[in-house]
Amino acid sequence: MASVSIKNVWKLYGKTEAVRDLNLECRDGEFLCVLGPSGCGKSSTLRMLAGLEHISAGDIHFGDVRVNDLPPKDRDIAMVFENYALYPHKSVYDNIANSLRLRGMDKAAIDQKVKKAAGMLEIEALMDRRPGELSGGQKQRTAIGRAIVREPALFLFDEPIAHLDAKLRAHMRGELKLMQRELGTTMIYVTHDQLEALSMADRIAVMHEGVLQQFGTPDEIYRHPVNEWVGGFIGEPPMNFLDCELAEENGRMLLRHPNFTGELTTGQAALIKDKAQNGAVRLGVRPDEISIKAASVDGAAKGRVLVTEPLGGDMLVDVTLGDTKILVKTKPDYKADMGDDCYLTFDTERWHVFAGDTGLAYF
Amino acid sequence: MASSDVVQYRSPARRVLEVLTVLFLAVYLIWTMLPIFVMFVSSFKDLLEAFKLPRVGDWSGIGVFFDFNPTFQHYIDLFDDNNFSTYLMNSIIASLGSALISVVFGSMAAYSLSRIEFRGKKDLFFWIISTRMAPVVAVMVPLYAIFRGAGLVGTLPGLILAYTTFNLPFAIWILKGFFDNVPYAIEEAAMCDGCNRFQAFQSILPLVAPGIGAFLVLCVLFAWNDFLFASIIGSGGAKTLPVATKELVQPQNIQWGKIMAAGVVTTLPMMFLGLLIRRYLVTGLTMGAVRE
Repeated sequence: MASVSIKNVWKLYGKTEAVRDLNLECRDGEFLCVLGPSGCGKSSTLRMLAGLEHISAGDIHFGDVRVNDLPPKDRDIAMVFENYALYPHKSVYDNIANSLRLRGMDKAAIDQKVKKAAGMLEIEALMDRRPGELSGGQKQRTAIGRAIVREPALFLFDEPIAHLDAKLRAHMRGELKLMQRELGTTMIYVTHDQLEALSMADRIAVMHEGVLQQFGTPDEIYRHPVNEWVGGFIGEPPMNFLDCELAEENGRMLLRHPNFTGELTTGQAALIKDKAQNGAVRLGVRPDEISIKAASVDGAAKGRVLVTEPLGGDMLVDVTLGDTKILVKTKPDYKADMGDDCYLTFDTERWHVFAGDTGLAYF
Repeated sequence: MASSDVVQYRSPARRVLEVLTVLFLAVYLIWTMLPIFVMFVSSFKDLLEAFKLPRVGDWSGIGVFFDFNPTFQHYIDLFDDNNFSTYLMNSIIASLGSALISVVFGSMAAYSLSRIEFRGKKDLFFWIISTRMAPVVAVMVPLYAIFRGAGLVGTLPGLILAYTTFNLPFAIWILKGFFDNVPYAIEEAAMCDGCNRFQAFQSILPLVAPGIGAFLVLCVLFAWNDFLFASIIGSGGAKTLPVATKELVQPQNIQWGKIMAAGVVTTLPMMFLGLLIRRYLVTGLTMGAVRE
């Protein structure tokens, strides 16, 4: 078991800054997701933790030990790679047993541990096969088996389920979380899939272009994104953004859009008052925080329906509001044809306003 | 995956081409196989029988070639009178020795060049192969002087060193291609599993084994067939089969029977080796060419 602290860490590839001044703390036994699009520096971070990549500047500590200059074998970590990286010439059993053999453990103990791990991952029947004869899911289980059999202080997972099909991925999310809870081992899990991060992590570190954007629980990140980028990245379908003018009228804070005028709640007004003067802001609303009606409602924004996308239990409606296209999530009983007028009302308690210039969230 | 069959459409031109192809192959087969056949058969004939030839144009006289009493006398003479067992041993030691050294050091150097970035890497890599650009003859005289100074002339270690000088750069160059094809992730996984760098290198060796095996054979072939080094550096104490065979040609007496037998002794081991690792040789040598 180990806690991990990353202090002012930089990673440079020549002049490219892959990771910029990263600070993260991962508690002992925590499931931490590092989330971001490709090229955001999340994999570089993980590789620095593993010792596969030189740390350009800054310090990484596991517990009290500074690990900057320790080779991977001395860090007591186990890593699962995106492409599994199994030894192609070894059987599943030997793949899993390899690290124990390297430690010089005796045969009976190895056998017992390998079988236990295999049992946990339900791959006992595959022990004699080679990786070439395994499906993607089986390979991935083998790779995880190789990691857990070592009983390391820290797991490092680099998009381990990215290459599985959607159904298996959904299944593995639950299994991985359960496995981590049962083992109680600290886990740092890199992914570009926000659904994986939201569903599994205790805390999420969102990265973008080498910079840590936000670090918090899944709920905090979903409900209180610190900036427009995080708001847009987290959530599926993504958050809608509208250009609005912030104006103060008779002590009320108003958001003016060509198609509607919305009023901030008193709490929101208090949050924004000192920071923003009148001017351009971006309104962020998630598709499921908008209600859509065919008939006119007082104070609603008038839009035009483009298409409807039924999803079984839900339905997405593409609406144009002025020259902006937004998505609304509703129930399939809403009927509309292309070009129909529609009226949108926003959940004012849950909308977000971001600064027009910096993209930082007011609330 | 696309079919690897070549799509062919029937046409008169193709018919003609097919016939020509078969014809060419037949001629080519005779051209390459006949000398070996003659060598093999003649090694079992005594001198008189060996020179019995049918008259020109007499195709039925072809039976003359097969009309002889097989004798192993040439082989017996070779090993009894001419010390061929020693020369055979020399050949085996020199070729295997240099091949092993080349492959061991070559694979380690190739691994480093494949995996580690350092300043001047490209120049170093080019310099390594550039040592092979000069023809062997050009470096023979200085090499001889150096070897004589070091007391290596006429010794097996000297011969092994000479072959290694020429095999090693080639080994590094070729093996680097094999290592380039192995994904980094496998070694990285090995290092996370608890390997140090050298153990990680060992852990991917099985993946390049076909390439290394194929190259080992090429090195053996180079040394086995070499005449120049063997006659100059190895002359005297480290005589190999080609040199020994050449010495059977004496001004007043060309011992054809023994020469033929020596030819068979020299050729057969390599032929068997070739047959044995034929499949490896093809997969091994094409492995480096195609990236995944």
